[in-house]
Amino acid sequence: MDISYYYGRQVLASRFAPVPAGIQVLPTIGVGLRNIRCNRCNQLTAREEAALPRNEFYCPHCINLGRVSTLNKFYHVPEPNQFAKNDQPTLTWHGKLSPLQAHASSIIAQRMASHEQQLLWAVTGAGKTEMMFAGIAAALQRGERVGIASPRVDVCLELFPRLRAAFANCDIALLHGRQELPYHYAQLTICTTHQLLRFYHAFDNLIIDEVDAFPYAANESLLYATNHAIKEDGGCLYLTATPGDTLLRAVKQHRLAVSYLPLRYHGYLLPPIKVQLAFWRQHLKHHQLPRICVQAMRASLAHQHRFLLFVPHVADLPLIYTAIQSYFPRHHFTTVHANDPDRLIKVQRMRDGKYDFLITTSILERGVTFPEIDVYVLGADEGVFTSSALVQIAGRAGRAQSRPTGNVILWVSSNCRQVHQAVQQVNYMNKKGQQIKNEMRIMQ
Amino acid sequence: MVRLTLRDIFWSREILNEVACKDCVGQFAHWQAENHCQGCGRGGCTKGQELCDECRRWNQLYGWYLHHRGLYHYNLKMKEYMHRYKFAGDYRLRKVFQTEFSTHIQRVAADYVIPIPVTTVTWQTRGFNQVVGLLREVPYLPALKVKAREKVNQSSKTRQERLLTPQPFTLEMPERFKQKKILLVDDIYTTGRTLYHAADLFHQADCAWVKSISLAR
Repeated sequence: MDISYYYGRQVLASRFAPVPAGIQVLPTIGVGLRNIRCNRCNQLTAREEAALPRNEFYCPHCINLGRVSTLNKFYHVPEPNQFAKNDQPTLTWHGKLSPLQAHASSIIAQRMASHEQQLLWAVTGAGKTEMMFAGIAAALQRGERVGIASPRVDVCLELFPRLRAAFANCDIALLHGRQELPYHYAQLTICTTHQLLRFYHAFDNLIIDEVDAFPYAANESLLYATNHAIKEDGGCLYLTATPGDTLLRAVKQHRLAVSYLPLRYHGYLLPPIKVQLAFWRQHLKHHQLPRICVQAMRASLAHQHRFLLFVPHVADLPLIYTAIQSYFPRHHFTTVHANDPDRLIKVQRMRDGKYDFLITTSILERGVTFPEIDVYVLGADEGVFTSSALVQIAGRAGRAQSRPTGNVILWVSSNCRQVHQAVQQVNYMNKKGQQIKNEMRIMQ
Repeated sequence: MVRLTLRDIFWSREILNEVACKDCVGQFAHWQAENHCQGCGRGGCTKGQELCDECRRWNQLYGWYLHHRGLYHYNLKMKEYMHRYKFAGDYRLRKVFQTEFSTHIQRVAADYVIPIPVTTVTWQTRGFNQVVGLLREVPYLPALKVKAREKVNQSSKTRQERLLTPQPFTLEMPERFKQKKILLVDDIYTTGRTLYHAADLFHQADCAWVKSISLAR
């Protein structure tokens, strides 16, 4: 095995194998009196649960990445930053940033240069990816190893071609659980946050996109993995439209520098969220929907606006589908959920304009862009919708230059905290956005 | 959640927690008792036929056939289970079938329960014998040993290759099994090759009878 395979990583090997020259051995599991602690994911497990015969132990928590047990050891070589220099331009992206984006982009680049911990809080549809390019390019020129991680595979898959186009002369590795290609050492690595568990003090700068997305948020082992994957003096940039409580607390305590981008790339504010009371579950028993909902949908269709209707559970889809069919028999629509085999086809057909609307569970909450749509949520007060999910859902509307506004209505049957928080987050960003717009007007 | 009855409270028997969820348990399929082959226990045999074609072939080869029973169909769900339990090495999963499997084993009036062994290499990587893991409070005798460097994983071979596998086991102190009743235990019965090799050793040792049982068939 080429030694570069071990640079900045923790690679599982058999305890019984002889150690190749030049490689450090790290222990896999700390065995305590009651618990064992995994050195990869840092999770505690009761001895009894983690026990193998013959007084050996394994970690059940991160077993999907390959089992860590006392029968293993880790191979590690400290990151040497051994990258071939080339004279070709690093950044091959020639798009233009808006003045606001350019401002945020230069702040990010500065903070990346001094290896700070920072947060970019940018509204959905602000053009976050392009704003990191300058910072990444500078880091690559400094000979740093850079990682970009996201909790979602789809986000990684979408980022990869864009970054390959933007950094055409740089070697980029893409790592995720469904990947068949073997790992290779590259200066720029795109991976899922789970894959970070395999790294150890590798990155000079690490960027985490969509920090608030499941399963990263509130997953301690992934937070641990992030800290472990960064070099001891490395920097970290979190990107999100909906920072959770943990990040906001870190900002308040000045542990995390923050930059805001409250306007979308087309310079408009977010469409405000409307909340309406609708006892839709009762109506659904009679295969109907509340009049207020039907009227809103009818208005969208009358204006030739397509829309997404979000529902809490997969089990709700068939009932709602039949109810809606009775109201809109002549329109084209369908339902989508996470385990739907035709999911990608249906989403593509929606993009192509073949459907007037889609009824979906929260899988379409982020990462997809349909231009000029309205967004409705049935049962926004139910537990599956977190406040960040609701902000993301609301952010599906008004993304196109041609129609920068859109209707966003949450139908609830009771008042609740996450809906309130989502509305407040959108209002907060819009207030900041309005201030900037006013300042710009004065300057003109 | 365990549903407690009055009997559980007043009668001191062990209370076992459900380990797997109902959805998962429902996807494992038991073999039904009717119409099965007298040898390997596979269902769907035509009535009146005692042995299926495969077992008849074994009978021709050895002059005897193995009385085998499998608990579950080797369906997709079982395949997934075996993958996670054996190959991913999640030893906790042994508990899913431990009680049921052990009860079935204890119902057989055998003198010795003999689990199919795993290689030293497997012990170093997997860290457990998947068959022994399925036994709960069953006294067993690890009398079979794998010959050094003999046993390649059956699951990594084609059906033809499996049937051509040479004897991978040795039997320690075969004289103690004379006129004894033997129950062999394995995790999966696919072609029967492994179990027939093991059973052959006991037949040579002049035992009273050999039966076998596996979790999946």
